[in-house]
Amino acid sequence: MNDYLLDIRDLKLAFKNYAGLVEVLHGISLNVRRGEKVALVGESGSGKSVTARIILGLLQELKSARISGSVHFEGQDLEALALRTRLALRGTKISMIFQDPTSSLNPVYTIGVQFNEVLRRGNPDISERDAEARAVALLKDVSIPEPERVLVSYPFQLSGGMNQRVMIAMALANEPSLLIADEPGTALDVTVQAQTLHLMRDLVERRGTSVLFISHNLGVVREFADRVYVIYKGRLVEHGETAELFHRPRHPYTRALMAAVPRITGGGIPTISETDAGFTDPMIDHGVAS
Amino acid sequence: MNDAVADLRPVVEARNVSKIFLTGTHEVKALDSVSLTAVRGECLAIVGESGSGKTTFANMLLGIYPPSTGEFFLDGELLPARRTLPLRRSIQFVQQNPLSSLNPRRMVGASLRLALNVHEIGDRPGRKARIGALLEEVGLPADFAHRYPSALSGGQRQRVAIARALACEPEVLVLDEPTSALDVLVQARVLKLLDELRQRRNLTYVFITHDLGVVRNIADRVAVFERGRLVEQAPTETIFEQPANAYTRSLIGAIPVITDDEEALRRKVMEETSAG
Repeated sequence: MNDYLLDIRDLKLAFKNYAGLVEVLHGISLNVRRGEKVALVGESGSGKSVTARIILGLLQELKSARISGSVHFEGQDLEALALRTRLALRGTKISMIFQDPTSSLNPVYTIGVQFNEVLRRGNPDISERDAEARAVALLKDVSIPEPERVLVSYPFQLSGGMNQRVMIAMALANEPSLLIADEPGTALDVTVQAQTLHLMRDLVERRGTSVLFISHNLGVVREFADRVYVIYKGRLVEHGETAELFHRPRHPYTRALMAAVPRITGGGIPTISETDAGFTDPMIDHGVAS
Repeated sequence: MNDAVADLRPVVEARNVSKIFLTGTHEVKALDSVSLTAVRGECLAIVGESGSGKTTFANMLLGIYPPSTGEFFLDGELLPARRTLPLRRSIQFVQQNPLSSLNPRRMVGASLRLALNVHEIGDRPGRKARIGALLEEVGLPADFAHRYPSALSGGQRQRVAIARALACEPEVLVLDEPTSALDVLVQARVLKLLDELRQRRNLTYVFITHDLGVVRNIADRVAVFERGRLVEQAPTETIFEQPANAYTRSLIGAIPVITDDEEALRRKVMEETSAG
């Protein structure tokens, strides 16, 4: 037994197509403790988003997906759960925030209607009036001015930043123990992204929500996460506490990734070697002080 | 970066350029009397958030639509609303997403050949060699001419888009978020290529981006747009070390950084904001 809220062991994923099996994840193991913010960082195609989808059980529905390994959530093996039980976790104990808030919200319903739906999922007996009062309170938590006006608005009437705040409020509405954030705010302007990120961090810290934070942006990860896993082509290559990993990256891939980010202090355009030598070296684990 | 910008006559000049869009019931001022110049061999970065007018500025410079008021000049000559072929050839465009800017039904070589044909560059037999040379100049093998864009990676496609722009032998390249869709390792390589090309061909860049980390390392000068207005312009180092405008400072303060040095710079900039 351990105290991990989320514990993924040797997760493998392949897609079957006409040419055979395409391996996407080559056995990744990661965990998230209660109240911890853990980042999974990598480039496009590295397998970070599919990992999130497997946790939610979204990929299992695909006929072409071949999945092995285990995902334990609150000590339960998710694969062993009955489908109904597993589905019931979505939007209640596990919730997710996606990259583009405006396209994640339904354009033909008002925010109020969609919020009500979210709240009813957590508590089917909630009255309309209670739901509205709760929605207003939650929107206030994410610093939305005039929450009553936002509730009667459609997503396209609000700015991207506002929609992102609405998404955060909805994701936290049923007090999930795990929040999966897949590239949150990447579609937003930097100033708005910074604001919503700080807001999300404050909220999850206050409520003790665990977060699995998926991103390609090293800067955002450094500001948000307690601990970081680096993923490259379906393999974890480095793991450590955020400060340690950013101060002393050891894996050739992590080093290349960090070297490639142009610095605002200058120093010229980074020179990146054309080879990927060492990128598939075994994983380096910095360990975690407990 | 260019240490010595020898020729100080402006290649591109915008004089009091404004653009008003009519949206049914009301007018939107997308750009409000902006005046800017870029000299030969310079990389001028235009930064700002969405809706700041940076893409509107680029589109008008390219002649996609004319300004409501104000003028653009190229080498001191007024640019007309309807551009002649040689004028279109002089100012070329590299867009953010090469998957949508390159014709998916055309092989890479055919896309480059079209540019050469339209502008009647070189003779027919010479064009094949030219296409190979262009691909090699952007770091791709010459036989990529026989591939479709869908068979290339994102970075390779963007190199093709750059080669297509260079095929016209332009003086000015307008680059609209050229590396925003790329992974960071690929981005670094494409930025390096762009920097080398600018020096080798003495090109002038109008580099539009929201990524200030990129700007710091590629631009000579920076113009900051906020809601259609030019709020600050200065040499790159000044923008980052002593930004004068509150909006510029808020942009710098919002960048997610990865080193302690950068964080110190950011903190310094933000403290000046709260002090001033």
